[in-house]
Amino acid sequence: MIAYLIASILIAAATLAVRRERQLFLAGILFYAVQAAFAAAILAGGLYGTASTEWFAFDAAGTLFYVLLCIVSGFAYFHSEAYLRGNDLRHIRTYSALVMLLTTAIAGAYFASNLAVTWIFLEATTLCAAGIVYHRRTGHSLEAAWKYVFVCSTGIAMAYLGILLLAAATKCESLQYEAVAAAVPGANALYLKTAFLLILCGYSCKIELFPLHTVGIDANFAAPSPASALISTGLVNAGFLALLRVYRLLSASEVFPWVRSVLVIVGVLSLVIGALFLRRTNNYKRFLSYSTVENMGIAALGLGIGGIGVWAAVFHVVCHTFIKSSLFLQMAVVRQVYNGYRINRIGDYIHINRVGAVGLLAGMVALVAFPPSPLFLSELMILGETIAVGKWWLVACMLLLICIVIYSFCARMIRLCYQPNQDELHPSKADRALSWSALSLLVAALVLGLWQPDFLKELIDRIATL
Amino acid sequence: MILPLIILYVVTLVYLSITERFRNFASLIGLQGWLLFAIALVRLHAINPAELTFICLETLLFKGILVPGLLFAVIRRTKTNRVYRSGSPQSGSLLLSLVALAASASLTYCIADSTVDLVFFGVALYALLSGLILIVLRQRIFSHMIGFLVIENGVFLFSTAIGVEMPLLINFAILLDILISVLMLGIFFMKIDSKLHADDADSLTHVKD
Repeated sequence: MIAYLIASILIAAATLAVRRERQLFLAGILFYAVQAAFAAAILAGGLYGTASTEWFAFDAAGTLFYVLLCIVSGFAYFHSEAYLRGNDLRHIRTYSALVMLLTTAIAGAYFASNLAVTWIFLEATTLCAAGIVYHRRTGHSLEAAWKYVFVCSTGIAMAYLGILLLAAATKCESLQYEAVAAAVPGANALYLKTAFLLILCGYSCKIELFPLHTVGIDANFAAPSPASALISTGLVNAGFLALLRVYRLLSASEVFPWVRSVLVIVGVLSLVIGALFLRRTNNYKRFLSYSTVENMGIAALGLGIGGIGVWAAVFHVVCHTFIKSSLFLQMAVVRQVYNGYRINRIGDYIHINRVGAVGLLAGMVALVAFPPSPLFLSELMILGETIAVGKWWLVACMLLLICIVIYSFCARMIRLCYQPNQDELHPSKADRALSWSALSLLVAALVLGLWQPDFLKELIDRIATL
Repeated sequence: MILPLIILYVVTLVYLSITERFRNFASLIGLQGWLLFAIALVRLHAINPAELTFICLETLLFKGILVPGLLFAVIRRTKTNRVYRSGSPQSGSLLLSLVALAASASLTYCIADSTVDLVFFGVALYALLSGLILIVLRQRIFSHMIGFLVIENGVFLFSTAIGVEMPLLINFAILLDILISVLMLGIFFMKIDSKLHADDADSLTHVKD
């Protein structure tokens, strides 16, 4: 792991020194070759199931999400090359290096086997993501970057207070997840509850869950679209995994039913915010970001309901990664065509870029969980488990909010494809190769909806076992 | 020895809730840095001397000298000296701060557990609430920065409470300082001032729905 971190950081540092765009491409190839080699070493080279130093472990959760990260980050990096073509080389190389560093920091957070190490890498993601958000160097991007750094730092400080409290309550000599989990059953319940609340509030800025979801939306809005694909999937997954690990270690404690109730409340509130703001916003990137809030709310509900809901929550997050990154990458092409994302102005996309429009409409179908979308499976499982535990009020609430989401999504995406366009078109033509490339991620998600490979099921089984 | 230092620390938190001059803010954050240095020195005297020296030097350097120095530099550069548009009257801030103090004391009393030094826990909780109150009630970005630094100092104080067993945790807390304080104070605030000419949080409301 240390060798991987050093290699990745060195390549990112070298990227800062490149002098031609071609070299940026080569640096990207080298970086993602390292990622692929590392993934292969974990999956086929015997690293899976082992530990690396006392800080990292290659467990099922880290491995699954790391493979997803490699795919999404690779797509984001190479789409960025086309998206940023013509920009100042100094800005592009800083951006590229930051994407590499963000990918490395997220990978560190995935594989961390220690509460404090997870926290450090999540803090590192704040710094990298803020730089990416500031890429355009406009007033808007500066405002979004400032808010991102400020709110994430406050959240991360709160999460650290929660970690300290957890350490104090369990009286562990180390902050290894396993050691803390073993000591949790005898700990003071009020300490554990306070610690969980602080950690949940703090990490909510990364997971894009209520209450600190707003910064993620602003960051996605201001960042270049391919980077938004990485932030709203890879980075969100890092926060989700950090929360899942705390959830798992509290599963042996007497406060676990309370923890699940809190997650249900946070999930419902996130779903409400996502559903309502999907109707309100007038920007397609913010629209997709609110959809992330809604989907992470559903995942939180899955964790809160428990039972098969935990499996469904993990599966939901995995499939959301493919679908959302595909849609953000399609949005990059939309910007190429219209030079903006205004919902009430742009339209007629079906006649301008048929492949891109099909990608967006298919993405819409997948994201609103129509079969054969994999999200249909996960949401059905969560609803089924909610009915099984007899929480009918929650079922009614979820169905109502999901209906609002479906209506909003269909109305907005159909408008983009078919309403008469009222904005001037950008002189550059839509790059259909990019639309095809983004569509491939969506196809991967739809395949998962129809058929889940055994190794994926096994990995999720291990992650969901409490 | 520690109790008077902690009481003084609580007094700085109460004073922060009512003061409106930026220089006072910066001075109080500096004073908190020196108090934290003294608390760390007394509290952690039993740990490895090398680690104690490292932690105390880091605390003094960053919390006692660098961060207040940067705050004064920001005040000089932006030429703003007062919170001329307070979001709420001083009496309201003071009242909220005292409610936060009472709430922290009550929660600490409810926990009444021997696993953690309750005084440290109560004061850290009060610092967290005080920082959040500053961020929510005050409109100037500078005040928000102070709110964040107050939260961070509270976290550091609490880390010293359990740092006897795990000095590494204190180093992590200091890492948070170095990474974020310097980044936020040194880079972004300067850029916001030069690019947006805005020191009011009301001016940073363009990115919204």
